[in-house]
Amino acid sequence: MSGGGGREAYAAAVTGLGLITAAGRGVKENWHRVTTSSAPSGVRKPPELHDLPCDFMYLVGDGVQESFDVGEQRLLDRFSQLAVLAAREAVADAGLLPSAWEGDRVAVVIGTANGGFVYQGEQQRVLLERGPRRVSPMTAALTTTNCAAASVCRDLRAVGPSFGLNTTCSSGTDAIGLARELLRAGLCDVAIAGGTESVCSRLLVAGMCKLKGLSTRRDDPAAACRPFDVDRDGFVIGEGAGILVLERPEHARARGARVRAQVVGYGASNDAYAPVAPHPEGAGAERALRAAMADARVCGADVGHVNAHGTSTPVNDLVESAMLHRVLGAHPLVTSTKAMTGHTLGAAGGIETAFAVLALQHQLVPPTANLESPDPRIAVETVRKEARPARLDCVVKTSLGFGGHNAALVLTRG
Amino acid sequence: MDITQQVSTLLTTKMGVPQQAVSPESPLRDLGVDSLALEELRLLIEEDLDVDLESAVLTPQNSVGELLAAVHSAAA
Repeated sequence: MSGGGGREAYAAAVTGLGLITAAGRGVKENWHRVTTSSAPSGVRKPPELHDLPCDFMYLVGDGVQESFDVGEQRLLDRFSQLAVLAAREAVADAGLLPSAWEGDRVAVVIGTANGGFVYQGEQQRVLLERGPRRVSPMTAALTTTNCAAASVCRDLRAVGPSFGLNTTCSSGTDAIGLARELLRAGLCDVAIAGGTESVCSRLLVAGMCKLKGLSTRRDDPAAACRPFDVDRDGFVIGEGAGILVLERPEHARARGARVRAQVVGYGASNDAYAPVAPHPEGAGAERALRAAMADARVCGADVGHVNAHGTSTPVNDLVESAMLHRVLGAHPLVTSTKAMTGHTLGAAGGIETAFAVLALQHQLVPPTANLESPDPRIAVETVRKEARPARLDCVVKTSLGFGGHNAALVLTRG
Repeated sequence: MDITQQVSTLLTTKMGVPQQAVSPESPLRDLGVDSLALEELRLLIEEDLDVDLESAVLTPQNSVGELLAAVHSAAA
């Protein structure tokens, strides 16, 4: 099958994973929770969100800052801390030693939608209440959306190409797709890629409430994020980071690395339709997925599982599932892990691609938690109640972001 | 707490400088206080000691002793 714009097929090796989410610390705990828990445990009602129509979100909890010494803490806002912790885990998982590696052959691409939005808000308050002389000199240095990538570079002495990337809720997926392109172009041997987000912000959540994007199930927050369910009423923001180590296949082979899976296709598109809403027929998401499948030289029949964007908004789940059905058919096992992690915005693609890798490795599809009554208008086969063992050779990760950003990845077994 | 103690505490608890490394002769940059960190420290000292260091000329080449002299003179 021809595809990929006439380019050679390319399989980037996934050799390491790192996860820190409201579902758990580390890959092991995350995978255990998303495959065995029937309900999320990480939904909190933080004081910052008091009295808002959506006053809850998925939080990682305590102990993040404490993982860093004082000197490191002052240089890392929380979204960067999460990225550094996940990157450390991913690099160790890959069996790579930053003290020994050729750092100029290591690239870093990390997405985030909101970066240091919370700290920025705090400094805005300082400016208004106490004047410009009291504004922290760290304001720019901690909050811009490149900070997570830059922090990971410093922490791991990765001195190759590095990029912060923002395609809102598609950021993590795009980061992995573009990291693979860097490997493919020979610009690096190793790429640390994924996404991070930490935005427990009264301002941002108030705004998202006003645009009617968030669930308002305040009486039962743990059941609020319920992708593909007939009673879903919006998404729930989550905090976390998901980072992958990708390698040129020759590089992974030469050092005898364990290959967890391969990223074989990537596609991206923009709806050019609306600032928030997806195209009503999912035309952009379809183009991204078809491009990724052409790049991977696979057809719908090859795809056994989709870790969907599945945000739990009425429109996303309908549009996305109709698109998946149209492009892939009725057979793939579709799941959304967001009911366990929340919608981690710029981190979502990193976290969920890691889950797609684990699904391939373990031949197991996590269930969509909280999916009690499947929406009859959703035609794809969703997995619910419990994880489903399946023979999986090829899986897909889709992301649809505010701004009309769409991204898709195709992965195969290692 | 006197000024010396307060500044020394800020260096260790906010900037992560090991306590035993702080001596009057140590240049700030040798303690890891670069120009960005120095501006952060300037703000912290102003807040904690209620002094105005806006016009104090300080660089990372200055020693802890010189920093303390600037704070003393601002507090005078």
